[in-house]
Amino acid sequence: MESQIELEYEDIKGHSNAKLVRFIGDLDATNVETVLEKICNLFNDGFINIVADFKKLRYVNSTGLGILLHFSKSAKEKNGSFKIANVNENVYEIIEIIGATTLLEIYDEIEEALASLK
Amino acid sequence: MSVKIEKEQIKDKPELLLWKIAGSLGTESINDISSKFEEIINQNYKFLIAEMSNVNFISSAALGQFMGCRQMLVEKGGDMVFSGVNLDIKTKLSAMGALKIFKFYNELRTAINAYEWEVEKKPEKVYLSFPPELKFVPAVRQMVSRIAKQKGYSQRDAFRIETIVDEICNNAVEHGSVDQKKNIEATVIIGKEKIELEVVNTSDPNKIEHLKEISNSLKTLSPKHDERRGRGLALIKMLSNKLDINFSGDGTSVHVTKLREE
Repeated sequence: MESQIELEYEDIKGHSNAKLVRFIGDLDATNVETVLEKICNLFNDGFINIVADFKKLRYVNSTGLGILLHFSKSAKEKNGSFKIANVNENVYEIIEIIGATTLLEIYDEIEEALASLK
Repeated sequence: MSVKIEKEQIKDKPELLLWKIAGSLGTESINDISSKFEEIINQNYKFLIAEMSNVNFISSAALGQFMGCRQMLVEKGGDMVFSGVNLDIKTKLSAMGALKIFKFYNELRTAINAYEWEVEKKPEKVYLSFPPELKFVPAVRQMVSRIAKQKGYSQRDAFRIETIVDEICNNAVEHGSVDQKKNIEATVIIGKEKIELEVVNTSDPNKIEHLKEISNSLKTLSPKHDERRGRGLALIKMLSNKLDINFSGDGTSVHVTKLREE
């Protein structure tokens, strides 16, 4: 059975081209394509700045991390950004081991990520 | 009403004795318990399992006697546990505070398993066999992680183990099993100090050399924006203490050792 992941969206006041996306569940090889499609749809709809809230993202594997890097790259190509906040320590360890902390924009708190939006 | 206590030696466990107790453990039973227990002490047993599935009553006096017996075993570096206690008696024992002192196991086999785990430090083996499809991997990884947690591994260790299992199994699905009818076979050996995982899958003999090249190149971390895949083995290597990959005949086996860290 595919791992459960849910994405919740919220507008960000004062930023018409930005969306807050809450990741809830596990991000792994069974559901990356679904997540990829949903985030790419946001990019295509003009939301080039994404703030991803990982407070309820329990798990991520190397495949999941691969698409996060892909989102970061895609956003930059569109002069936007893909920011991550509220990462739990287990997920952060995976990001750190892969050496992706310097490639992803990671914030401790969601407020910090929102404040960094241009 | 009387009590009957049968003693039974368990094969290859010279320090462990089983008492099969039947009947009513009223006040009058304490002399029986006391004399039988004296034999235990004289014969240098350290561990006692009291099998209680045929006990229909226990008095506070009998419980007190058991507490004294346990205390003597604890002083010798041993323990006394109960198995098969029915719900009514367990409720009564709980009210008397016994659950804070004794360990209770639902079945005798579980009590023996716990002895093997706690005292003999014998690892437990779990075999898993599943079709080579991604959709089965989450259940497999979560099950192994739960076993690790159940066996006292920390949340952090259990998460790392979950990640290792996930990455190995994803690779087994992605790179192996040309023959979709053959399952992926996973063996988990979980001990107090370490966990060992072995995942075996079939692979196309013509692709073995190619797979060897992939495994060598993937062992180094190379996070780049344009690479969405190919970090699994490197992640396994970083999270585990030993990683061996063997290509033989028509199959690939990955063996990982992960030491308990916390």
